[in-house]
Formats: sequence, structure tokens, C-alpha cells
Amino acid sequence: MKRLYLLTRDLHLYAGLFISPFILVFAISVFCIVHGWMPVAQPVSRTVTGLEIPRGVELLKGKEQVAQLRPVLDAMKVYGEINFVRRVAAEGRLVIPVAVPGRETEVSLHLASGSAVITERANSVWNAAVYLHKMPGPHNVALRGNWQYIQWWRWLADATAYATLLITLSGIYLWIAIKAERRVGLALLGAGAVSFFGLVAALAL
Amino acid sequence: MLFRIWNRKVHFYLGLYFLFFTWLFAFTGLILNHQWKFTEFYPNRKITTTERSIRVRAGTPDVATARAVIAELGIRGEISMGAPSAVPGRLDFTASQPRMVHQIQANLIEGKAKVVSNEYNAWGVIHVLHTFTGVSSGNPAQQRDWILTTVWALAMDAVAAGLIVMVLSSYYMWWVLTQKRVAGGIALAAGSALCLLFVFGLRWIY
Repeated sequence: MKRLYLLTRDLHLYAGLFISPFILVFAISVFCIVHGWMPVAQPVSRTVTGLEIPRGVELLKGKEQVAQLRPVLDAMKVYGEINFVRRVAAEGRLVIPVAVPGRETEVSLHLASGSAVITERANSVWNAAVYLHKMPGPHNVALRGNWQYIQWWRWLADATAYATLLITLSGIYLWIAIKAERRVGLALLGAGAVSFFGLVAALAL
Repeated sequence: MLFRIWNRKVHFYLGLYFLFFTWLFAFTGLILNHQWKFTEFYPNRKITTTERSIRVRAGTPDVATARAVIAELGIRGEISMGAPSAVPGRLDFTASQPRMVHQIQANLIEGKAKVVSNEYNAWGVIHVLHTFTGVSSGNPAQQRDWILTTVWALAMDAVAAGLIVMVLSSYYMWWVLTQKRVAGGIALAAGSALCLLFVFGLRWIY
């Protein structure tokens, strides 16, 4: 029993320390998301010409289209996760928003002329935290993770959630082992349960 | 010594109080990132459409009018205004709560309202709770207008603040365990390096 306790305590400590910076990023970004605080930088534009755009790329869909567009973006030195690709058929162009945590770039690709207008916003660290909080998320699932780093972030976001669940369970075990704190702990657990279920019921029923 | 004792108490008192909130946000975070089949709710939603009479009223088609309309219809929730209609007296908006989203098309001159109600299952409710803030960064005009959304937003703030305090208190608890400083330092440094790469590093590299 003593061995299990010591093992759980070490696991709680080391897993908690490893994951703690990610928990801070998720927790701090909550304030920006909940209150809509999102400073947005002024955009800076540039034009690139002489691009080699694969023929028929505008007709492709999903990851196939992204794979064809990636070398074109690389040639313009635009890197990051492609959020989506929107075709403006009447103007013969594709609009491609691309994001790196903390920077948003919108590429307006003119297919016929082989040129592009690139609009870039170098946002703050808060935007980076909010972006990461929402990644990969439920939108554009077929496209999400088209940049290697967002695939890695997906694993880290999952690891943060799983580790949080693990840490709470090990924390309960460690608390139960402290006999002197059981009453106060139980009262707080009960108060938390009443707050949580009361609020959820008020919102949902 | 007193600080050390209270720091430890605060760590697990906060953990216990926010336990259910933390489980909700961690679990729904996984649901949002994975869309597991068993958590599907949108295609399974129950849709009902009703036509109701409402009191004919003059006035601007704004949030206050929308709130008066849903009060009359016996509906509650967070209001999101639709695009202004070219039809005189027409007011389109949604009233949302985690279990129900009502799409309302009211005609204030004719005194009629068409209500399309979408009812979600339990997976839908917990899914929506993760993102139910009443504001949108892309639409600054959208403001919270339902008291329960404000209370839920404050609860989200409190959970976030609680987690931050728990992380900071854990650093102190680890630091005073001198025999665990090196191993703990390695775990913290590894996590920090990875996290900093994403938050600060990528935009410098790319």
C-alpha cells in the first residue's frame, strides 16, 4: 500500500510538472476566449509574381488540394496550417488563410496571372495561446493537421487532457490518504459538485 | 512553514472544488478534437417547428425586442441576432442554451413568429458547455445578454484561475522536495521547452 502511495505521488508530481506549462497556456487563453479579448495587429501586404500554380488546383478538394498548394505557399515563404481554401470562381482566384501560432496570413492566389497578394498579421502571444487552445478543434476536420506542427500539437493537446484526467484521479487518491483532510475535502468536493451540477441543470433544463 | 502548509491545502482544496469542472473541460476537449462517433449529437438532434402568435409591437428590431419576444414565447437563452432583414418588421435571431437552440423568425407587424427548435442529446449538452461563452472574437457586436451565460463565463474564469493557482502552488511544493528537484526540473524543463516552441518559437522559425 505504501509503495502504491509513493508511486502515485511521484506519477502525480512528474506528470503534473511536465504538463503544467500546457495547462497554463490552456488556462490563460480561457480569459481571452471567454471575454472576446483578442488584440489584432495591423495587416501588412505584399505581392508575389511569377508563381508556378499547378493546373486545375482550384478543382481539387481537401488534402489533395492542400498537397498541391503547399509548394506554391513554400515558394512565397508562407508557412503554417492551412485553415481552408475558398474558391472565388468569378475572379479566378483562391483565398487561402494560413496560420502559425501568433501569425495569420491570407493568400489571395490569382490563378491566371500566377501572382498572389499576401496579407500578414503578426499578432500577439495571446493570439498564439488562443489559436493553440482551439487547435485542432471540430472544424474543417478533413483538412486539419495539414502542417506537421499542428499534428504534433494534436498529440500534445490530447496528452494534456489525458494527463489532467490522470492527475485528478491520482490527486483524489493522495487526498484520501490524508485522514485529517477528509472532512474539509469532502465538504469542498460536495460544494463543487453542487455548484457544477446546479449550474449545468440551470443552463440546460 | 505556515505558507508551506497552506500552499498544500490550497492546492488540493482547489483541485477538489473544481474537480467536476476540470473533468468536463478535459473530456470535452478530447471530444472536440476527435468527434468520436459515439459522441455525435448534431445529426441526432430533434427538430420541431411551430408557428406562434405574438403581440404586435412597434420598435427597433434589437436584442431588447428579441428578449421580449422570447419571454412571450416562454423561451430562454442567449440571443444572437441575425442579419437585418429587408422585410419591414421582420426580426431573425437565435436563442441558445446548451440543450436547445431556437431559430426564431418573428414578424412584429403581423404578430407571428416561426420557431424552429433544435434539441440536443446529452453529448450535445456537454459539447456546447465547453464553448458556451456568449461572445465571439470574430463578431465584437455579439455580447452576452443572458444572466446564466454570464454566470457560466464566470465559472470558466474561476476554473482557469483555479488551475493557474494550482500549477503555481505545485511548483512551490515540488521545489521544497529537495530530493526531487532534479527529476522534477527535467520534467518541467521538457514540458516548458515543448510548450514555448509552440507559443513563441514557431513564428520566429517560420
